[in-house]
Amino acid sequence: MAEPIKLSIDGKPVTVPPGTLLIEAAKQVGIEVPSFCYYPGLSLQGACRMCLVAIEKMPKLQTACTTVVTNGMVVHTDTPEVANTRKSMLEFLLTNHPLDCPVCDKGGECELQDAVFRYGAAETRFLEGKLHEEEKKFSNLVYYDRPRCILCFRCIRVCDEGMDVNAYGIGFRAAHSEIIPNRGEQLECEECGMCIDICPVGALTSGTYRYKTRPWEVTYTGTICNHCGDGCRTTLSVRNNVVIRANNRDHSGLNGEFLCVKGRFGWDFVNSERRLKSPLLRKNGKQEEASWEEALTFTVERLKTILAEHGPGAVAVIGSNRTTNEEDYLLQRFARTVLGTNDIDHHRTADFSSLVRALTEAGATDRYATIEDISAAKSLLLIGNDPTHQHPLIAYQIRQAVRQHGARLYIVNSREIKLRRQSSQYLQVKPQGEAEAVRALAGQAPAAQDLCAGGTGALTALADALKKESDTVILFGDEIQGQTVNDLVTCGLTLPGKTRFVALGDYANSRGAADMGLLPDTLPGYQPLSNEKARERMESAWAAKIPAAPGRNIRSIFEGIRAGEIKALLVFGANPVKTFGLDNAALTGLQLLFVAELFRTETAELANVVVPAASFAEKSGTVTNTCGEVQALKRTMRQAGTRSDLEILLALARLFGQRWTYQSPEDVLREIIALVPGYDIPLPSLLVGRAVPTHPEGRPPALERPDLVFSSRDSLFTSGTLSRYSWALNSVDEAKKPYGHAF
Amino acid sequence: MGNILKEITNSATALAKGFSITFKTMLRPTVTENYPHQPPTFEDRYRGLHVLRRDENGLEKCVACFLCAAACPSNCIYIEAAENTAAHRISAAERYAKVYNIDYNRCIFCGYCVEACPCDAITHGHGFEISAYDTNALIYRKEQLLEPLPASAKK
Repeated sequence: MAEPIKLSIDGKPVTVPPGTLLIEAAKQVGIEVPSFCYYPGLSLQGACRMCLVAIEKMPKLQTACTTVVTNGMVVHTDTPEVANTRKSMLEFLLTNHPLDCPVCDKGGECELQDAVFRYGAAETRFLEGKLHEEEKKFSNLVYYDRPRCILCFRCIRVCDEGMDVNAYGIGFRAAHSEIIPNRGEQLECEECGMCIDICPVGALTSGTYRYKTRPWEVTYTGTICNHCGDGCRTTLSVRNNVVIRANNRDHSGLNGEFLCVKGRFGWDFVNSERRLKSPLLRKNGKQEEASWEEALTFTVERLKTILAEHGPGAVAVIGSNRTTNEEDYLLQRFARTVLGTNDIDHHRTADFSSLVRALTEAGATDRYATIEDISAAKSLLLIGNDPTHQHPLIAYQIRQAVRQHGARLYIVNSREIKLRRQSSQYLQVKPQGEAEAVRALAGQAPAAQDLCAGGTGALTALADALKKESDTVILFGDEIQGQTVNDLVTCGLTLPGKTRFVALGDYANSRGAADMGLLPDTLPGYQPLSNEKARERMESAWAAKIPAAPGRNIRSIFEGIRAGEIKALLVFGANPVKTFGLDNAALTGLQLLFVAELFRTETAELANVVVPAASFAEKSGTVTNTCGEVQALKRTMRQAGTRSDLEILLALARLFGQRWTYQSPEDVLREIIALVPGYDIPLPSLLVGRAVPTHPEGRPPALERPDLVFSSRDSLFTSGTLSRYSWALNSVDEAKKPYGHAF
Repeated sequence: MGNILKEITNSATALAKGFSITFKTMLRPTVTENYPHQPPTFEDRYRGLHVLRRDENGLEKCVACFLCAAACPSNCIYIEAAENTAAHRISAAERYAKVYNIDYNRCIFCGYCVEACPCDAITHGHGFEISAYDTNALIYRKEQLLEPLPASAKK
C-alpha cells in the first residue's frame, strides 16, 4: 500500500489514501462541498463549478471534484470568497432555471433547491426574461424539461458509463445547450430510468410518477424487487395503498443506486385492476366468486376424499419462483407431512443443486460468489446466459468491474450478447455449444472442430488466459447443468486464487425455492431424501413422517396427470400451462386443480379453485437471490381480499387438523435458521436490511433429466406472468424488439 | 329631616346620571348585529371557511404543490394531484388538484395554509356557518371550496 496523504481542510487534519479527490476527503471529515456534476463512480466533469474551494498557494479557486489531494495541502471551504462564489454560481444557474418548484416533481428532494436554501442567491440581479422551451417526451417513461436542466451531464455519463447504452448526447450550444437522445427524437434505450434518479433537478421526470404526489406525502418502505434473481433493494413509495414510485432512495442494498426498468417501473402489476380480489370456485363448469372459507373447505374436503380413495401418490404440488423462503419451506412441509407426498417441484431455472453438490464434494462451500464479489472481481468468466437482459444488476456489476478497476471478462456464449463489448476474450460457440466448450475446457472431452468460430485454438487461448488470472468469478446460466456443472467446478477450482461460482437463475426466489427443498428428491438445505439422518432430523422437528421414496419431478407430474395417476394438483404462484407449453387437455384429468395466484393466468383458468394471493409488496418474509444472499421483504401495503401464500398454507393446514404454531413469517424463519443447513444466518443483520450470504452444503441426487432445468429467457421488459400486467413494461417501444436486442 | 332631603337629592342625581347614559346611547347608532335576521359584518382579515381562488381566465390557481397540507398543524387537508392535458385543462400549470378536501372537524383556522400557498390559491373567506348534524358533512370537497367562475370567464 502506498503512503497515505495528509492534508488539512478548514483546519481539520485529514488522512486519506493517495488518489483521493478533495471532495471525497472533505466528506470524510464531515465537511460538505456542494456539487452538481460530481457523482461518485462516474467520470469527472467539472461542469457546474459549485465545488470551488480555496487551496493555499494556488492563485485561483479550484474545483474540489477534480483536484486530487497532495501531501501538506491546506484547503479552506469556509472563506467569504468561497461563500460568495457559491452564491454567484447559484445565481448563474438560476438565470434560466424556472422557479416552478411548487409544480416540479423534484420539489422537496431537489439538490438545487437544497443548495439555494443553504448557500443563498435568493435575490437575483438578472432582470431579463428566462429562456423557455416546451417539455419533451423522450419515451412513455422519460420526460425532459429543458429549462430546468442545469447541464451537469450526469444523465449522459450514467447512461454511457454505467449502462453502456449511450442514449443521450448534448445538442446546441451555450445557453441553448440541451440533452438530446442520440438515436432520433425518441429515446431508444434500456429504459432503466437511472437518468431520472440521478438528475439533481427536475429536468428528467418519470412517466409513471410525474405530477402524482410530492415526496413528503408518501411512505417509503425498502423491500426487494420481485422480478429477476439479482435481489435489488427497492424503495416503494406508497400513498393510500397504491404504489406510486420505486427507486433505491437511500442507495442501500447490494445494488446501490442501480435499478433496471423492471425494478424502477415494473412494480405496477401490484396496482393492476385485473388482480384477483376474491377466491373463485368452479360450480357447474363456471368459476364463480366464493368466500375464502368456502374455497378452502372445498379444497380440503376434496383433497381428503382423493387421499382416502387413491392414496398420497395421487396428489402433487408445484411451487413458485417468487414466493418467499418461508412460504416455500411451509409448502414442502405441507406436501411432505400433511399430504404425505414427495411429488413437489417447481420450474427450475438454473441447476443450483448440481452446483451445491459439486462444491460440497470438492470441500469448497466457501466459494459461492456474492454480488459484491462480482463487482470487485479481477477476472470474470461468463458462460451462457445474457445478463444484460436476464440479470441487469449482474451485468451492471460486471461492467463496473471492467470499467472501475480493469477486470478481464471472458465470455463463452452461442449468441452475440451485449456484454461482449466489455470482454477481453469472447468465444462464440455454435448454438447449444456452451456445455461442450466447458467439457473441453475441463479436459473431459475434446472439442469438435466446428465448436467455435476460430477453431479450437480460441478455446486453448481462453484456457491459457484463465490460467494466468486469479480469483476468477465464474457465472453460468442454464446451459450448464448436471455433470457439466461438476466439470466446470472441478476445472475452476484448479485455477489460481480463490475461484468463486454463481449459477444464474431467473426469478426473485428461484434460488430460495431450491434451497427450501421444493424438489421431489431433496429436503431443505439440499439434503437428499435418501439420507436417513437428514430425514429423521426433519421428522423429529415436525413430529410427522416423511415418505422415504423420492417423488415425481415436474415433467413426471404432468405425465402422471395424463396417465390419470395424479388426481389433485396444487399450484402456488406458478403458471405451468404457459411455462411448460401444456395443451388444454393436459390437466383435464384432474379432480382438483387448486391455484394460488395474483392474476387469472392460463393455469388459473382451468382450476376448480383459485385463491387470490398477496404480491411481494403486501407481505414480509425473506428471498434468496441467485448468488445465495438472503434479504428481507417488508410489507408496504394491503390489498383487500388477498392473503399471502403463508396464510393460505396455514389455513389449509388448520383445516387438515394440524396444530402448526407459526404466528408470522419470522417464526418460520427462526425454524429455517435452526433446521436448514447453510441458513444459520444472523437475524439482526437481515432485519437491518443487509444481504446475508448463505453457504449451503449437501449432496442432492443428480439431475434426472436435462429438460427439467431451463431458463425462460426473459428480456429486460418481460418477467413471466407479472410483466403482462404491467403498463409501464408494455408501454415502451423497446419491449417490442426481438429478444437479445442490444442498445 | 335634613337627612331625608339629602337622600332624595342623591337618588335623583343618581337616576339622572344613569338615565343620561341610557338616553345618550339611545340616540347613538347600534353596535349589536341583528344576526341571523341581518347578515353579519366581518373584519377583512377574519379567518373563515377557505376559498380556492381562480385566475382571471377562470382556471384554478391551485397547482397541487401540497404545501398547505404540509403546513397544516391539524393535518386536515387532503390532496390528490393529476396532470393537466391540453384537452382537459384545470389549472394554468402542469399539475392541478384532482381532489382537494378540507376536514372542518379538524381545521383550527390558523391560516398557515394560506400563509404557505405559493400561488395565492387558498384564502380565507368569511364563511362560518358550517354546523352540521353529521361529521361527514364537515369534510368539504373541492367543489364546495372553489370560488364560482368569474363572469368574464363564463361562456
